[in-house]
Amino acid sequence: MKFSVSSNELLKQLQIAGGAIGSSPVLPILEDFLFKIEDNKLIISATDLETSITTQIDVMSDANGIVAVPARILLDTLKALPEQPITFNVNDENFGIEITSAYGKYKLAGENGQDFPNIPEPDGVDSVSLNAPTLTNAIAKTLFATSNDELRPAMTGVYFQVDFTKLIVVATDAHKLVKYTFTDITSEVSTTFIVPKKALNLLKGALPSGGDIKLSFNKANAFFAFDDTTLVCRLIDSRYPDYNAVIPVDNPNLLTLPRTDFQNSLKRIAIYANKTTNQVILNITPDSMTISAQDLDFSNEATEQLNCNYEGEPVTIGFNAKFLVEMLGVLESDDIKMELSTPTRAGILLPAEETDGEEILMLVMPVMLSN
Amino acid sequence: MDAFYASIEQRDHPELRGKPVAVGGSGRRGVVASASYEARKYGVRSAMPGVTAKRLCPGLIFTGRHHDLYAEESKKIRSIFYEFSDLVEPLSLDEAYLDVTENKKGINSGTIIANQIRKQIFEATQLTASAGVSFNKFLAKVASDINKPNGIKVITPEEAILFLEQLPIEKFMGIGKVTAKKMHDMRIFTGGDLKKYDEIVLVQRFGKVGRHYYKIVRAQDNRPVKPDRIRKSIGAERTFLEDLESMDSMKEKLDKISEVVFNYMVKKDNYGRTVTLKIKTHDFKLITRSKTFLSEVRDLGILKETIYELLANNFEVFEKVRLLGVTTSNLSKEHPGEGIQLEFDFDEKKDLD
Repeated sequence: MKFSVSSNELLKQLQIAGGAIGSSPVLPILEDFLFKIEDNKLIISATDLETSITTQIDVMSDANGIVAVPARILLDTLKALPEQPITFNVNDENFGIEITSAYGKYKLAGENGQDFPNIPEPDGVDSVSLNAPTLTNAIAKTLFATSNDELRPAMTGVYFQVDFTKLIVVATDAHKLVKYTFTDITSEVSTTFIVPKKALNLLKGALPSGGDIKLSFNKANAFFAFDDTTLVCRLIDSRYPDYNAVIPVDNPNLLTLPRTDFQNSLKRIAIYANKTTNQVILNITPDSMTISAQDLDFSNEATEQLNCNYEGEPVTIGFNAKFLVEMLGVLESDDIKMELSTPTRAGILLPAEETDGEEILMLVMPVMLSN
Repeated sequence: MDAFYASIEQRDHPELRGKPVAVGGSGRRGVVASASYEARKYGVRSAMPGVTAKRLCPGLIFTGRHHDLYAEESKKIRSIFYEFSDLVEPLSLDEAYLDVTENKKGINSGTIIANQIRKQIFEATQLTASAGVSFNKFLAKVASDINKPNGIKVITPEEAILFLEQLPIEKFMGIGKVTAKKMHDMRIFTGGDLKKYDEIVLVQRFGKVGRHYYKIVRAQDNRPVKPDRIRKSIGAERTFLEDLESMDSMKEKLDKISEVVFNYMVKKDNYGRTVTLKIKTHDFKLITRSKTFLSEVRDLGILKETIYELLANNFEVFEKVRLLGVTTSNLSKEHPGEGIQLEFDFDEKKDLD
């Protein structure tokens, strides 16, 4: 089997697929790309058995065939070559691969493509169509809030709730929570599933800036298809916590203030906070808010004052500054609103102005102050 | 206190008096917690395996431990300390540093205070105590061992330098067997030998603690007596009579140990963010693995789950296990300025769908 392809075009596709390859694969063949030639198309797959990416590219070939190619050495070779046509010559008996460039020849040992694990096929799926920026947005706004706690597997992923006319995407690590609602979709079905963090991270890097994404799903897997690429991931088989139950409905105290001023102030104050807790204290009165932190271990402390608009009882409440900075970072509006209750109950963070067709709600649990 | 646990047993059981007594386990994996002076003559020491102790001293009598009783005696002793000073830093149930520079009785001699405390302890408990009196913690501690049992040793500033130069290196507090061996290799046998080395060389050889050695041998020790030593961890461990080989048997033991640790956390209202599993294998390899949470572990179920996870993640590393331990650290009371990161109260039993 022999085929020719543009080195840069191939590299681009390999870099997309290569994201699926795990850092310490359980089988040697999982360090490979699967190359399948089908009627002048090269179909490339990579997998870590949880997440798989398949993509394709037009090539000039003399026959159909299949081979597994070591990923690292191939990627390194292509990165070191200037754009040019290159030719792959695969020995169908021993899977030896010879690459020919304008400069010379490179030989590497492939493996039998038949030994490559099967990539799940979209059998018995339901589908919904999303535009790419919407999905990119949904991922960017939620992924940071997921947990790393393997004892609570559901929270290590992002929860997708497909309704007939809306998509709700939720992430939480039990300390902070983001609920992103998108109201401009049409789906034949209503269902929910939890997508692992790794798959979404890969998607974030691979999604096109425009066009549609076809999202298909069955009980076991989710399939994200766009352009010539499909990402398949095994869904997290675990119950998602009842997040609606923890969203307060009667937080009486309303704080409004400029988003970037608040974020920048928190970033400066956090430098002086205890490094393990990142604890900052907000002291909020009707016309101003004091943000302060101290690190008793080093006698560091800092205080700033911000103008704000506050309707409610004066309150002193502690938060992890890192959480607030991340949350403010995914909002886009000039002003934000915080709805607070007592210093030990969840605060709600909202943009002051809503964007058409989308809603975002964030929750954060305070740090209970020790004195 | 002199042979604290063993002396209490001898006091309460006259038939044990004058005999070699050890408190602790005599079994295959038992350890001596305390040995009477009669037993020490044979070389029996605390922390020694019971089997070794028995070999050194065939007539050794093992008694059970009566921890509640020891704790009660300890309380009596401490209340005597507090009659003299509030600056009391307990090191264990039967040992403490006291700063008596300014004391409640207005006595301006450490020696008089030490003897008065020893006298009051004997009157309250019929147990003897030994004391070391000096101008810093290190010297006081070293001195307290010199005239044990039932004795006192005073090291004045004038005597300190010569005393330290002549002191065998093993007697320096904090220099254990391993460090002593390294020092012997460097031809350091006494404080005087240690003094010949530059601070830099000691730091290169021993790390940060080298600086401490350099200072203490020159009688420099400015560590204050800290009342209420801040507890850094809460833990428990168990050595097993037979090595454990199956995951299930380990889990079963870890359940019990976790419960002991958890109950203690509840009792002390002091919870840790870091959970550590300690494993000693049949060939004495020590493995510790830990996990740190953003907020304190306040749930026994989570403590157990975490320990299981740490065990499962490392299960291939070991075969037979002789000791298992569970510790929580990063304790809430260790970081008094730190608040507690609260969590959403998810009803984990309720299904969303």
